[in-house]
Amino acid sequence: MSSLDPGRKAGLRRELEGLLGKGAVLSDPEELLVYESDGLTLFQALADFVVFPTSVEQVSAVVRLANRESLPFVARGAGTGLSGGCLPAEGGLVISLMRMNRVLEVDYENQLAVVEPGLVNLHLSWAVGPKGFYYAPDPSSQQACTIGGNIANNSGGPHTLKYGVTVNHVLGLEVVLPDGEIIWLGGRTRESQGYDLTGLFVGSEGTFGIATKIIVRILRRPQAVKTVLAVFDAVEAASESVSAVIGRGLVPAAMEMIDQLTIQAVEDAFGCGYPRDAAAALLIELDGLREGMEAQAERVMAACRENGAREVRAARDETERQLLWKGRKSAFGAYGRISPAYMVMDGVIPRTRLPEVLRRVNEIVGAHELRVGNVFHAGDGNLHPNILYDPRRPGEVARVVTAGGEILKVCADVGGSISGEHGIGLEKMDYMPLIFTEADLHAMRGVRDAWNPRGLCNPGKIFPSRKACGEASIAYRPHPIEAQGLAQRF
Amino acid sequence: MPATFHDELRRIVGPAHVLTGIECGPYVIEGRTPEAVVAPGSKEDVAAVLVAAGEASVPVTPWGGGTTMAVGSPPSRLGLVLLLGRLNRLVEHEPGDLTATVEGGMTVQALQEALGRRGQWLSLDPPHAAKATIGGTLSANVAGPRRHLYGGCRDLLIGLTVVTADGAIVKGGGKVVKNVAGYDLPKLFIGAFGTLGVIVEATLKLRPRPDADRVVVARFERLKDAGVAARTVMASDLLPSALDLIDGEAVRALGLGGADGAALLVGVDGMADQVDWQCREIERLLEPVGLREARVLDGAERDRLWHARGTVGREAFAETAATMRWVLLPSQVADCMEQGAAVAQRAGLRAATAAHAGVGIVEAALGGGEHADLERVAAVLSEWRALVRGAGGHAVIQWAPLAVKERVPVWDEAGPALRIMERIKAQLDPRGVLNPGRAAGGI
Repeated sequence: MSSLDPGRKAGLRRELEGLLGKGAVLSDPEELLVYESDGLTLFQALADFVVFPTSVEQVSAVVRLANRESLPFVARGAGTGLSGGCLPAEGGLVISLMRMNRVLEVDYENQLAVVEPGLVNLHLSWAVGPKGFYYAPDPSSQQACTIGGNIANNSGGPHTLKYGVTVNHVLGLEVVLPDGEIIWLGGRTRESQGYDLTGLFVGSEGTFGIATKIIVRILRRPQAVKTVLAVFDAVEAASESVSAVIGRGLVPAAMEMIDQLTIQAVEDAFGCGYPRDAAAALLIELDGLREGMEAQAERVMAACRENGAREVRAARDETERQLLWKGRKSAFGAYGRISPAYMVMDGVIPRTRLPEVLRRVNEIVGAHELRVGNVFHAGDGNLHPNILYDPRRPGEVARVVTAGGEILKVCADVGGSISGEHGIGLEKMDYMPLIFTEADLHAMRGVRDAWNPRGLCNPGKIFPSRKACGEASIAYRPHPIEAQGLAQRF
Repeated sequence: MPATFHDELRRIVGPAHVLTGIECGPYVIEGRTPEAVVAPGSKEDVAAVLVAAGEASVPVTPWGGGTTMAVGSPPSRLGLVLLLGRLNRLVEHEPGDLTATVEGGMTVQALQEALGRRGQWLSLDPPHAAKATIGGTLSANVAGPRRHLYGGCRDLLIGLTVVTADGAIVKGGGKVVKNVAGYDLPKLFIGAFGTLGVIVEATLKLRPRPDADRVVVARFERLKDAGVAARTVMASDLLPSALDLIDGEAVRALGLGGADGAALLVGVDGMADQVDWQCREIERLLEPVGLREARVLDGAERDRLWHARGTVGREAFAETAATMRWVLLPSQVADCMEQGAAVAQRAGLRAATAAHAGVGIVEAALGGGEHADLERVAAVLSEWRALVRGAGGHAVIQWAPLAVKERVPVWDEAGPALRIMERIKAQLDPRGVLNPGRAAGGI
């Protein structure tokens, strides 16, 4: 959907190379193809250019150039997003931050780190690990996703139950505004003056500007960790155990649920020690002081037993603990072995509504003659139904999309949200009216216009589209690198 | 203010809920009397009042419990005071979800009592909880000692309903603990001092009430030692819920002893055996860094101490001349407290400072009886600001007589981000009706 004539494009390429150097600008269609999707390959959009700046000045220069040329632009990290949020929906420039990936400074005494946006999430924990620290937000893609991408999406992860999501760990941001100006929001201290622009920026899905330096809190690693596996013959019993644990005054670090289909896929693939005939399993992790840890684990296990767990056990050692977590974290890879494709859904409900909502999800998917695997953050009520399908069967993709919409409606109807961590992006913009009124959306548009008055910074996202479905293609085709067997989605 | 406007207000909320003339006396701000006071009973009525005020070009100042009205710049014109006290219901509390939805005018104490009956609490402990409302606490971004472990307003607020200047009822966030649908509008209203909208409803994350809750009062000869002690606790495996560093004058004001030495208040809560262990461990760790005496408070004694701690700023001296809030890196807290006290002493005045040491927030009070003339007070506040800025932080006047505020800016410099703040204000309140001039940067 390139809108640039060849002459103008060649001129712009020369100019971009002048700003960033040769080797930092892509404009050939084959090269651009790699950047046409994120982790959600349902959508594709081609950029005119993909550029790789290495400094804030370069990012600012590219953004000023885009403004002069009235070209849209969007920042991109590792491209592991799951809502199409970093796609160049209206063409223009993709600004990859992958070459800005350094840890600039760590202040252990004040428990903070200054990093660049292209730094891989897990690499920050590696960097501060030797001194006993870590970075708490741990999205499932943390081996690949970047801190900058986490800022855009306000990413979560299993341990957000106790430690909160990305925004709870961000103190300050150096930002290139949509007009190219470089400013700081917040800083190193816990508060800044005036409106909480840092808090507002996190989760704005790249529509308020581009973060080029990020100050995050790092936490001391807890003294003790205890991981409990509870096995159930009924999903309802597992759901009720979640509320029972909370009801006993415990706030585990993580509380994850894995259903039967997922357990079987994981066991076939990796053999992590989950019983294949279980209807559901809960993986519950406690952390904190060593003192009292056993007593807390006892409380958790008692709550599960009283709510019908047929087996409850604590991981005996670190190896067993890692194996249990491997089962949870490799679930997406395991689906790939039992289904040619799957759609990762993301919705949130009040956790007390888990039993009825899970039942409804299964009914909806069944009615569309599809299969669903559930592996999710039960403690937060953050569902991830993964609908398995075969894109080669005619009409199946459309049924997946319909079923997905119906599931989001159920989440909205019980007082929940249509996204807990993946964002709205392209995928869910037309579902926004399920939970927001026109007045709510009007206020959000006003706030966006305050940051991004020309609308060049990541246009065509978040807000319901006027043109239904837009130009984004809904037909699935494998991502090129997927087709070549170079990568799989997770 | 036209008389027809008063009639319109009476029509909206009923005559009993509109105050005029001398009845407005309790709602004087910085010596200015409002032209009228109105107390709507529903969010729809709040919306109707804002529409009427907009049409009559009357500025509106939202008022919760009135506990933070002295913060910020004086209003350029005090038109209508909008009382939220009638919006005081707990709308929804589902213990299994660990969330509650509450109207903006409910007091923090009333909410805590309702939650406590079901074994939960909101982990915010602002001062004056009996008067402070949820909406006001969020608007002024107030928290207490437990912010150390449990975070502040921005960590606990998950959904918000506000009425914007044009009377639109706007909701952001939701009722679930994890939610990334749309922009995080609730963040915008925290610390906005009512300049962007009127908070009518909030949904907050809750916690289970701990089995045990104590505070270790650790006394030291010198503030320097207490500062080292605070850093020792932070660098340990301990997980205190509060870590407050108190200088000598504040120790005296809290009734913990004479004005010599310093104290560290370490809050610990959780399961009883963990609390026991932490209390022992605190003493063991602090022994080598100059601990003189440690006492563990529980029950009513603990509550009395935390209550006094909440109000130690204004009540530090018989005649407190001004109070200021410093935001610093934790590593700078103790040094700045010492240097700040020296600044006051050189001017012939006295300082009392108390800090949430791990969060990096210091309340500094200035006293000094007859020596505390305007010029000296203003000079010390300016010097304090320079000191804090030099350490990489910022300082905001919390309370001071109007004459002092006229000499020293209430807010610190807002910086280039002010441009975005002004544009957001222009989008949400284009006519500048809501609390004009009150917030940072003169917004």
